[in-house]
Amino acid sequence: MGKSVFLRRTGLIVTLLVCVALLVKVPALPPYYVRVADSILIYIILAVGLNIVVGYAGLLDLGFIAFYAVGAYTYAFLASGQFDIHLPFLIILLIGAGTGALAGILLGFPVLKLRGDYLAIVTLSFGEIIRILINNADDLTNGPQGIAALDRARIFGLPLISPTNFYFLLLILTIVVCGAVYFMERSILGKAWRALREDQDATRGLGINTTGLKLAAFAISAAIGGATGVIFSAFQRFVSPESFTFQESLLVVLIIIIGGVGNIVGIAAGAILLIILPEVLHFAAQYRLLIYGLVLVVVIVLRPNGLIPPAFNLGHVIRKIQALWLSPSNT
Amino acid sequence: MALTLEHVSKRFGSLVAIKDLSLTFERGAIYSIIGPNGAGKSTVVNMVAGSYTVTSGVIRLDAHVVSSLAKHQIARLGISRTYQNLRLFDGMSVLENLEVCFFTDSLPGLFRRGGHRMTKVERLKRCHACLHDFNLADVAENLAGDLPYGRQKVLELARAFVTDAPVVLLDEPAAGLNHTETKEMARRIASLKRSDRAIILVEHDMDLVMSISDRVDVLNHGELLYSGSPDAVRRNEKVQEAYLGTAAELDIVRKLTEGRRTSGGIRAHAGVVRH
Ligand SMILES: Nc1ncnc2c1ncn2[C@@H]1O[C@H](COP(=O)(O)OP(=O)(O)O)[C@@H](O)[C@H]1O
Ligand SMILES: [Mg+2]
Repeated sequence: MGKSVFLRRTGLIVTLLVCVALLVKVPALPPYYVRVADSILIYIILAVGLNIVVGYAGLLDLGFIAFYAVGAYTYAFLASGQFDIHLPFLIILLIGAGTGALAGILLGFPVLKLRGDYLAIVTLSFGEIIRILINNADDLTNGPQGIAALDRARIFGLPLISPTNFYFLLLILTIVVCGAVYFMERSILGKAWRALREDQDATRGLGINTTGLKLAAFAISAAIGGATGVIFSAFQRFVSPESFTFQESLLVVLIIIIGGVGNIVGIAAGAILLIILPEVLHFAAQYRLLIYGLVLVVVIVLRPNGLIPPAFNLGHVIRKIQALWLSPSNT
Repeated sequence: MALTLEHVSKRFGSLVAIKDLSLTFERGAIYSIIGPNGAGKSTVVNMVAGSYTVTSGVIRLDAHVVSSLAKHQIARLGISRTYQNLRLFDGMSVLENLEVCFFTDSLPGLFRRGGHRMTKVERLKRCHACLHDFNLADVAENLAGDLPYGRQKVLELARAFVTDAPVVLLDEPAAGLNHTETKEMARRIASLKRSDRAIILVEHDMDLVMSISDRVDVLNHGELLYSGSPDAVRRNEKVQEAYLGTAAELDIVRKLTEGRRTSGGIRAHAGVVRH
């Protein structure tokens, strides 16, 4: 018994070390791979954010990318020659989270009486309205040309230049966001969201203001979208409306569905699959989308609950590690 | 200090479900609302709890006008309920089903309005104590949906009592329970009677109603037919007539007037679809 615990513990340490080593070693790859990794991290953060609304509160939001756009343009307005405002990156990161949350609440108020399909359609329209607004508000946004030559982001004086710099920034944000969201999932707030998802009326009967509860989900998720948009825009140093099409909203929802609704581990797996797949399929040229679609269909048919089973979630992983750590070893 | 219904009416389109109903429920007693199927019993519960709005009239709890508040505000005032058809959160654990009752108490002051913020430790203590009182401690971590039906009914009862609400509405707590479980439920509800709490019970099982109620209100076609002690209700002729309406219930009245308690428990709605 003691021996097997020792072996399993060693196995765990090796696995964790390999994971950390892999994550730290990504920047040693050619820049192309680092960019793909950056992209994966961005979509993990976005999907974990949207999952609060879709997975926890059970509300289908098809316009999530609008909040990402709000964050991206927040950086563009506050760190460029557009209005000649040049605020520090970290300040704008906070402001971006704030403007995202504000947009989430503004959208939330009128639509939260709706449920199911109706909510999905209204949020879809909201996403498109924001994009069309950006596309046409020439004085503010330069319309389709977008805003270029954004300031180079700096953190405590250190400039963020290469994809590698952003890789580490995104990695930290991913860990922070996943940790915070996991904490929320486990808290009484997460439990109230689950109750809301199961039976809204009974939840209200327990004295819970369900409108406020939904607004909280919208605001928190939109804040995450906004903050991610700020990083995206600081990374590209250019924003234009075409980055925020309905396809993008759909991709984030797909990541959640393919990975496993409500499951942070699943979402990470979903993001890896859906971002890497098109890259791998470059060889297939014009058949790329066809194969991409087929893979999605196969995944959905074989694993209707997502790639990662609901039981294998972050809590499960953490408990496994804890149990192995605390179990007596008398080797 | 009481829950009062003052000339309350409820219409669903052309159907008048409750007609000019006035009732007072004081703390410290168990009240039963009985009546044939479709009499409007659940409608009364739904109006008091805020699931339905009243068409006319006023419902008050002490100085508060309950009938103009939103459902969650009514619950915050201290009116809790169970449902005729179970409304547990099946995918959550038994413990979590109770924990969510304290969601609002656990929020930071900004979102809570008054009172002190309940800590996680306090919350868990309250919930575990309640689970213990309701004999559910052994299944605290089980999913509510996995419990046998009888225990789900008990959990719904526990959820209505965990917050110490001064008014608790129970819509058919014994429906679907077997004889032993019904006896157990009667004993349980009787033991929950407290001087600072009014329990309002809607129930078809006459043994249960007659054994634990301080007052029985009889509804028929949305109107109050009679209101009085269990013995007075049993003897009242108008009540007997109302129950003569359906063949299934004929038998019950006969047995009641004979003063005999049947061992199987009497169900006025035997074989009738519930709403
Ligand atoms: N939501 C509703 N919409 C329309 N009619 C309803 C609704 N709820 C109850 N009713 C009607 O009101 C009457 C009283 O119903 P209810 O209060 O459920 O009766 P009870 O609980 O006494 O069996 C019935 O005729 C029922 O069909
Ligand atoms: Mg009923």
